[in-house]
This record gives sequence, structure tokens and C-alpha cells, in this order.
Amino acid sequence: MITQSANLLRTAAKFDRPLLLTPAQDWSGWLLGKTGRALLMIITGTSVLAVLLIFVFIVREAWPFVQAHGLGEALSSTSWYPTRDPAQFGMLALVFGSVQVTFGALLLAVPAGILIAAVLSDIVPFRVRQAVKPIIEVLAAIPSVAYGFFAVAVLAPLMQEHLHLSTGTNALNSAAILAIMAVPTIVSVAEDSLSAVGRELREASYACGATRAETLLKVVIPAAHNGIIAAIVLGTMRAIGETMAVWMASGNAAQIPSPWWDLTQSVRTMTATIAGELGETPVGSMHRHSLFAVGLILLVVSLAMNLFTEYLLHRAKRTSGVHA
Amino acid sequence: MNIPLRQWLDRLFTSLAMLSVLLIVAAMIGILLPMVWRGGSAVVFRGTVEFRRMQLEQFNRGDSAAVRAEAEDAARIRQHAYEILDRFAAGLDTSELETKVKQLHREFGVQLANREIPQKQLSELRSVSKELRDELLKAFEAEDKTQVLEHLDAVMSHSGDERLKGTVAAEFFDLARQYRDTVANVDLRRRSEYADSLKQVKDAMRSLFGPRPGERLPALPIEQYGSTRWDQAKQNLDKLLWAESWTGSGEGQTLTKSRIPREEQFAGTALAGLFPYVRDNIQGMLRPKWTFYWQYFTDDSMSGHYFGGVGPEILGTLLITMFAIAFSLPVGVVTAAYLVECAGDGWLTRILRMCVNTLAGVPSIVFGLFGLAFFVIYLQPKLGLPGSSSIIAGSLTLGLLVLPVIIRASEEAIRTVPQAYKEASLALGASRFRCFMSVTLPVATPGILTGLILSMSRAAGETAPILFTAAVAMGPIPTSLSQPTRTLSYSSYDMAVGDKMAMLAPHNQFGMVMTLVAIVLLLNIAAIVVRGRMSKKLRGQ
Repeated sequence: MITQSANLLRTAAKFDRPLLLTPAQDWSGWLLGKTGRALLMIITGTSVLAVLLIFVFIVREAWPFVQAHGLGEALSSTSWYPTRDPAQFGMLALVFGSVQVTFGALLLAVPAGILIAAVLSDIVPFRVRQAVKPIIEVLAAIPSVAYGFFAVAVLAPLMQEHLHLSTGTNALNSAAILAIMAVPTIVSVAEDSLSAVGRELREASYACGATRAETLLKVVIPAAHNGIIAAIVLGTMRAIGETMAVWMASGNAAQIPSPWWDLTQSVRTMTATIAGELGETPVGSMHRHSLFAVGLILLVVSLAMNLFTEYLLHRAKRTSGVHA
Repeated sequence: MNIPLRQWLDRLFTSLAMLSVLLIVAAMIGILLPMVWRGGSAVVFRGTVEFRRMQLEQFNRGDSAAVRAEAEDAARIRQHAYEILDRFAAGLDTSELETKVKQLHREFGVQLANREIPQKQLSELRSVSKELRDELLKAFEAEDKTQVLEHLDAVMSHSGDERLKGTVAAEFFDLARQYRDTVANVDLRRRSEYADSLKQVKDAMRSLFGPRPGERLPALPIEQYGSTRWDQAKQNLDKLLWAESWTGSGEGQTLTKSRIPREEQFAGTALAGLFPYVRDNIQGMLRPKWTFYWQYFTDDSMSGHYFGGVGPEILGTLLITMFAIAFSLPVGVVTAAYLVECAGDGWLTRILRMCVNTLAGVPSIVFGLFGLAFFVIYLQPKLGLPGSSSIIAGSLTLGLLVLPVIIRASEEAIRTVPQAYKEASLALGASRFRCFMSVTLPVATPGILTGLILSMSRAAGETAPILFTAAVAMGPIPTSLSQPTRTLSYSSYDMAVGDKMAMLAPHNQFGMVMTLVAIVLLLNIAAIVVRGRMSKKLRGQ
């Protein structure tokens, strides 16, 4: 025993110089760290590259159309006859279809979404909230083609029969479906921002004798307005960019209904036009370029909305930070 | 405002809010229930003997001897129905009889030519045969019963002719006798009216029981079998038992549908007996049995999507999803790690984050456009692949689509790893890389896994990005990654609006969507479970 520990002591004592790496080890370690970092950065750059590539390739494909016809001209005409001779590329009816359907959806989804968010954040106890949240998540997870299938196979016949419409696939149908699809987005963002409003504000309001409705409507929701607007914009984005459900439910008539507010007629959105027509266009044809131009409009609109939400959420974070 | 009014408004607000929650729950149930219910009937249903026959002949499945015995049993009961039908049809559809008579006359001529008989007798017999033929044809044509009987009597007057005994010509008399029987039961003046209905009856019988035994088998599998499902059989039986007609009460008025039982329509004829017979014996004719058709999830489809299952669609969806994840998981996790561990809060991080958000906001159809323009048309020819849609192009497009989902989930997971863990490992002398690989990453795994599962469910459900990059409605099972494939999502779309054959089989339409929704929801439930465990662990339970 004694000799063993003595041996150990002797070996320990052999370390007569400070624990240092050799210059070679030092260099290789430094290099490895730097190259590793650089490699990570390159991989990280994939998403930047993807965004750039998306823009470059959509613009590249849309450019011949923009040059030949110009977006302004295309957006001022309603006659979309891309296969006629001479072809006409008036996108106004398509844009109108998208706007009408989206607006109809928001009319249903925004009040419902904000009310549900208010219920989750202020009204029901924790347990109920834990039960409702998965339902919202399930609604968000159902694939859009399944919503579209529901619209065509279940909702359209019901509408045709009970509302006595000439067709069940119309703007109303797609607006209803889009509303259900947009609600989860609105609820989750709005609920986050409602929960982020400090307790003090609510308690102050209750202490002044306000009812719960008054507290929510006059104090909490105004305080969370940035987040709520962001929620609405995100819901709009979801509705405008939606393809399958709208394609299946809207009836695909490239026209502005008359009167224009009539939701019971068939319309056609930008997304549905791309989905429906791109497969039949030959490579390099003006028709295909025009569809990429429609895609470019969608891309630019969604990018603008995205930047706007980011600005709003950033502001919401800053203001709630001040309150806390 | 006074206090009661304010309280009342408060209650109104609360109930409105609760109502909207109830509405959204109702919407979820209303959407999922028909899909599960009607989609489930593609897998669990009452299969008839026709279904078992189809499974045996097309998929080589089931006990061959038992199915054949069962089919024979059913055929025996059906036989009587066919006999009733034939007896009635003989009086009505005389074109068949006419050709038969003409053929008999010709055969008789041939028979005579082969026999060695004197020339005179031969021409005599010929003229008798010709007379018999003409009389019979007149009888078939006549619409007045007495006329028919006159012609038939003229035929029968030759029945005692010794020279015709034992020749083909004797069959003329059989035909005449048969026709006399049928004419006794049929109102000949309503012949044309009956002819249409009879065709409907025949069609209904065909859709119930398939082609008649002994008939030449049609080439298409869809026409080789009768009603394979009991619910289908009930619909077809309804068509057999009831005649539907649209009648308008006047010009400009909407048509109204009226139904009368065919038994009434054919009252007093030989056919009237068919309907009660089929109605009472339908169970024996089709032998419905509860069937659990689990092979629905592995079978290829046949005749459009009329028979068979969704096997290739599931395979295609899994392939595309797996390759999408294989691309985006490493990239996503590395990006998240870089954002949390390496980059500070500088301009680089801000640009990165903005790009991730932009990527998340790009509409899915624009991803489809990009996938077509970049992967399919630009990149694939450069790599020596054909410039047409392929699994690899679809996977990469979907990979980009789910990249933000993975990045955000992983970032969140890596960020929530307690700082103390990292500090402990660094203090022990681990390098930052080592620390990340052996401490941070294992702790963050459940969170990353949640993001992974959610992005899988997203990728499996998306349709628009693969419309032009990977999906086809019909086609063989792919053998390489440069071929397009069928997927659940695209086929759901195609069956709902594009495929005429699928419209005839709504259970298969719903079955396809149900399979898709089931896969997506199962993945989501898995994610919720993983997350629940993780939060328990973090709370130290």
C-alpha cells in the first residue's frame, strides 16, 4: 500500500512544466474551431440561399411576362383567356377572387379567433384550456387537401340542397373552409399576446369596478393590439396563400361575380389558377410565364405581410417589456 | 350605464366567447367525423360473396374451395331469378328469337344438302321450312294476340309432318310452343314501354350480381363483379325494385321525382315474380359478411380506385416525407445550433432569422412553382436526370418548406437547455463542440423530436408543393428516386374532383382522405405526447 502511493506521488511530481499544448496542437485546434464554425455557417446559409433562390427563380420565370405585358396592364383587366389567340392575361378577376374569399374568411375567423383567444387566456380554468388547445392544434394540423375534400364532398352538397344555390362550390364555401383553417393561427398568436399583457393591468381594471368583458375589450385587447393585429395578418397570409382547399371549394370561374359582393357564385383565386393551369402549359410559353407572374405577386404580398408582422411583434415585445 | 346592464353585457360577451369555442369544437367534429365514419367503411364493411370472389381472383387471397362453394350456392339461388327474367324477355325481345329462327332455317338447309334424298322431296322440305320460318317471324312481329296465335297455329299444323321428325326443323315447333306460353302472359302492345324498363332491370341485376354465369367475361375487372359491398348492394337493389321517373306538371315547372315499385309496373306479367323473389332471397344471393379489409392499407388499387387499396399512395407519401426530413433535419438542427450557440445578436443573426421567417411565410403553391423552376427544370438536367417530376425534386421542395418548422422547434429546444449544464461541462474541460454534442444536444433531443414529428406531419399533408414536382394520379410504383410517385395528398385531391371511377366508390374517396388524416393526426398526437413527457422531465417529475 505504502509503496503504491509513493509511486503515485512520484509520477505526479514528474509534471515539472505547466500543462501546455504543443504549438502544432494549438494551431490545429484553432484551425479546427474556425473551419468548424465556417462549415456551420455555410450550412446555416441554406435558408438564406433558399430564400434568394426562390426569388431569383420566380422572377426569372416571370420576367418575360412582365416585360411583354407589364403587371400594371395585367392587373387592370378582368379577361383571363390565356389559351385564346391572341391570349389575354387580365389578372384582376383572380386577384379579386383571392381578396373576396380571404375577406369573407376573415369576417368569420377574426371575431371567432379573438374570442377564443380571450376565452383561453382569461375566462376558462387551466384544465379546460389544456383540453381546448389540442383541438386547435388538430385543426391546424389537418392537411389543406382534407379540408378541400370536406368542402367538396360534404359541405357543397349540403349548401346546394339547403341554401338552394345553383352550385355548392362557391366563394361562400371556400370562405367558410378558410375561416376554419385561419382560426388556429389567429388563436395561437392572439392568445400569446393576450397572456403577455401584465396582471397589473387586469387587476387595476377590476379594481376600478370593470366587468370582465369591459376589462378585456377596453384594457387587455387594446394593450395587446400589436400582437392581435399580427395575428390577423398571419391569418390573412394563411388564407391568401392557401391553395388546395380553395381550389377545390371555390368553383373555379375566372370572373368577378355580379353583384361583386355576392358570395354564392363561383370564383377563382390566384393560387387556384396556378395549381389548375400550370400542369398544362408548355415550358417557355407566355401562359407559363404569366402564371409565374401570379406567383410573384403572391410572393411579394406574403413577404410584405411577413415584414409587417415582424415589425408588429417586435413592437409588441418592446411595449410589454416596458410594462413588465 | 347602469350596473345590471353592464353585467348583462358581460354575460353576453362570455356566452358569445364560449359559443365560439363550442363552434370550433363542433367544426372539428363535423369535419373529422364523416371522414372517419365513411372512410372507415372502406376498411370495415359487409362484404358480399362478390367481394370474396374478387379478392380470390384478383389478389389470390382467401380459401379458394370455400369461396367457390359459396359462389356456387349463391349462383343456384340466382339461377331462378335469371329464369324468370329469360321467360319474360323471350316474349319481349323478339330480335333474339328472330335470329334463332333464321339460323334454324339455314341449318336445316345444310342438313338437307348433306342427306341423300330425291331432288323433289328436297325442294318440298325446303319450302316447308321456309314457310315455317316466315310464319314464326310474322308471329314475333305481330302485336295483336289473335294474329300471333293464328301464325303459331299455322306453324303447329306442320308438327305432325313425319319427314321433319328428327331433323333440326323440329325445333321450330319448340319455339312456337314457348312463344305461345309467353304471349299468354304479356300485353304485347306495351312492348316498347316494357323494353326500356326491362333494360333497367337487366342493368340493375348486372350491377347486383355481375355478368351472368356462362356469359363471356368482360375485360375490365370493374365489370366482372357485382356488388362487392352490402351498402352498394342495397342501393342497386333499390334500383331493381323501384322505377324512378321525372315528371313535370307543366312547362316551366320543376320536375318532380316519382317512384313506383317495379312489381306494380310489371303487374300481371311473368316478370312480376322476379322482384319479391330477389327481395326475399338477396341475403342468400350475395351472402354479406362483416369484413375487416386490413389489406386496404397495402393493396394497390384497380380499375381507377374502384377496387383495391391505398398501398402505393402510403408508400409514396412515406418516401417523400422521409427524404424531405433527411434533408431538412441536419440543416435545421445545425442552423438552430448556430443561431443559439455561435452567433450573437448581430446583423448576421437578424438576417438569418428574417430569412427563416420569410421562408415560413412563402405560400405553399409558390414553393411548388420554385420546385418546378429550380429542381425539376434547372437542376435535374444538369445532373443528368430527366427534366420531369421526381421523388427527389418533391422531397427537396418539401424539405425547404418544413425547414423553418424544424429550425424554430430546435432553436427553442436548444435555448431551453439550462445554462448550468453547459457550464458544468465546459468547466470539466470539454470543448464547445464536445459540450454541444454530449450535453446540449441530448438534453434538447425531445424538443427537436417534437419539431421533427410536426414537420413530418406537415410534409405528409402538403399537396401544392408536390403538384408539379413529384405527384402523379396514376402510375406504377416507383423504382428509383428520379421517378414520380402517387401520394395520399394528391390522390385525395384527384379522387375528389378528377377521377370519374372514384366517384362510383365514395367509400374509397373517403378512405384515402381518412388514411391521410389518420397519419397526420397520429404524428401530431405523438408530438403532443413527447412534449408532455419533456415538460414533466423539465419539472423534475
